[in-house]
Amino acid sequence: MKLFSTYIKEMKIAARGFYFYVEIIFAVILLVILLVAVKEESVSKEAEYLYNDIPSKITTYLIEKDINEGKARIAEPTEFKMKPVTFEITNQETSEVTLYEFEEEKTITVETLEQLDPETGKLTRTAYIIDNEEDMIRLSYSEGKIGATVIMSEEGELTYKYYLQGYETDRLVDLLYILHNESGEVLTTEMDNQVVRKLGFEQQLNNRENLLPMFIVFTGSLMGFFIVMAYIFLDKGEGVIKAFAVTPSAVWKYLISKMGVIMTTTIISSLVITIPVMGARINYLLFLVFLIVTTFASSSLGLLVASFFDDMVKAFGIMYGLIIALMIPAFSFYIPSFDPMWMRILPTYPMLQGYKEILLKNGDTGYVLIYSLVFLVSGLVLFALANIKFKKTLTL
Amino acid sequence: MIKKMFIIFGRDFLSSRRDAMAVYIMVVPLIMAVLVAAFAPGLNDTTVNIAMLESDSAEHIEYIEQYAKVEVFKNIEELERRVNKRDEIAGIIPLGDGHEILLQGNEADIIEMYAVLLNSFYELGLTKEETTATMISFGRTIPPLKAKLTNMLISVTVMLSGMLIAISIVEEKNDDTINAVNVTPISQIGFILGKSLLGSSVAMISIIGAIFITGFYNVNWIMIVIIGFCSMILSLVIGFLQGINSDDFMEAAAGVKMLMLPIAGSIAGYELLSDKWQWTMYWSPFYWAYKANDLILAKIADWPTILLCTGLVIISSTVVFILFIPKIRKGLS
Repeated sequence: MKLFSTYIKEMKIAARGFYFYVEIIFAVILLVILLVAVKEESVSKEAEYLYNDIPSKITTYLIEKDINEGKARIAEPTEFKMKPVTFEITNQETSEVTLYEFEEEKTITVETLEQLDPETGKLTRTAYIIDNEEDMIRLSYSEGKIGATVIMSEEGELTYKYYLQGYETDRLVDLLYILHNESGEVLTTEMDNQVVRKLGFEQQLNNRENLLPMFIVFTGSLMGFFIVMAYIFLDKGEGVIKAFAVTPSAVWKYLISKMGVIMTTTIISSLVITIPVMGARINYLLFLVFLIVTTFASSSLGLLVASFFDDMVKAFGIMYGLIIALMIPAFSFYIPSFDPMWMRILPTYPMLQGYKEILLKNGDTGYVLIYSLVFLVSGLVLFALANIKFKKTLTL
Repeated sequence: MIKKMFIIFGRDFLSSRRDAMAVYIMVVPLIMAVLVAAFAPGLNDTTVNIAMLESDSAEHIEYIEQYAKVEVFKNIEELERRVNKRDEIAGIIPLGDGHEILLQGNEADIIEMYAVLLNSFYELGLTKEETTATMISFGRTIPPLKAKLTNMLISVTVMLSGMLIAISIVEEKNDDTINAVNVTPISQIGFILGKSLLGSSVAMISIIGAIFITGFYNVNWIMIVIIGFCSMILSLVIGFLQGINSDDFMEAAAGVKMLMLPIAGSIAGYELLSDKWQWTMYWSPFYWAYKANDLILAKIADWPTILLCTGLVIISSTVVFILFIPKIRKGLS
């Protein structure tokens, strides 16, 4: 009963402050960004600038062939404003250097061809077809995208002269080299002999849904770590904790009531973001269990760290370092090829994966429950340690 | 007044050195700059991703590695788990005398084509020397992603330095020393500037350090210093308004969180909005600072544009500061 009344009192105090509302407003703003600015499916922004040094009939034939095969479609012509610019280009084979000086601003309108994935119809790349080579080179330089001149040899073969920015990796340059060779029919036969097996893809989150785990972990669960410290230092500064020590209530009840405020804020702000995006498609009971235990664990860690310092300024270094370290697994979450084993020991790694499993239609519930238990136990251990430390330092 | 301001700066410096907070705020952007320098080349690797097995021949793996980013796995289960992840990666695994291409099934058509082509090239023993293509280079060495990450780092540094000023003011409030300052010979404006010198200097040092670490040695340093000076003014305004408006650390923390929105919004607006919608971000000084840094780091900045950007940052920061002067006076009294 004392615990509940302390919690209610803390909630009343929090409701009077600025922070509680900032959390809710922040969640609403993130939700608006998710719904308005993040498309569910990504749209390719890859672009290339082409100059076709081949008879126009052949160009038209090749474009029409791609359109008929569902590999391309013609888009509205695009206007480019080119500023005055001076640069040099170097032929990688001959080391010949050519200087280009463009002193006047120039506006051109170019034919735009959208290249598509024939199976899905999704845009894969946009090709801008430019009428003269100088404009193509100038655009490729100023827009920082790859350019190419397509030339037809006397034998009727198409060859490519690529304009690269210079920072491309050797691997990419070598790939471009080997993609253009004279193997012709032998290559076609070899390609036909390749065995391709499809695994049958697993269900994935769309772009919008895929941002939710990060928002929930870093603005919800992990914020508990930072906010509980701020609360404790605030109360330490005002002498509230010492005053609490002379009341009949135990210190742990005070600590739990602080966590209760954070959990309430986190639950509200996380649901504000999650419900409009996921609707009724996820198991909210599992979601709430995971949210509560992860917030409890990170708040307990915050309590333990706070117990070693007198004020926020002194704890700043360790707090800052820990928050940065705990943010590292986000790289792995969004760059799947970067997944070192050492990163899995950081608690935010299973947090992000756990929320991902909850959001997936056929997610791994076992993983979520196991880590819920892990976070609960580790949270209890950290809380017990923090309680012992507070008892030693706070009671009169 | 200047002497007194520097006395306040010196006192702040000593006090922050004791707590090492200024050092943390200065060092963290530098550590992040080291990470940007270390990771940016890998992020720039835009070639095809291929998963292969350790049991495959070393010659095959080496051949594919010349043209694609290869990840090697101990067993087929690990490889299949990798192929099934969200990004686009194809597997090439031994099958009888030849190889099998493994796909998730939802990749873009071009991923399958590249995997099939590369393995066909290997089977035919083709090399890049047999190419018909010619490569011409513009000679740029720094990838745009690295410039963008460095620029974002500068924005974060400005925010952190503002936070340093805010926390130092909240600390003064908690210690109840602000009222004491009012009876000293220094004016309120002098006190504000003195209190802000530490955070602003930290911003300047961190920005220059981060630019050096990330390898932008031959940018226009005069422009960088001018924009750095603007960033100092920005961090000063941010920090002071936050500090004055916050009665405790909770409110300062909430203020920092809210401040992330215009910073992130300005960056996202500059990078994602089409030209015809860029005007919607003109109100934000963070937008102009980010734009100026972007142009400088890309080495395409011209003086009229940089002076316009700096002018707008200074004007908008000053307008906000002037609007809040009554509140600042109230906060200090």
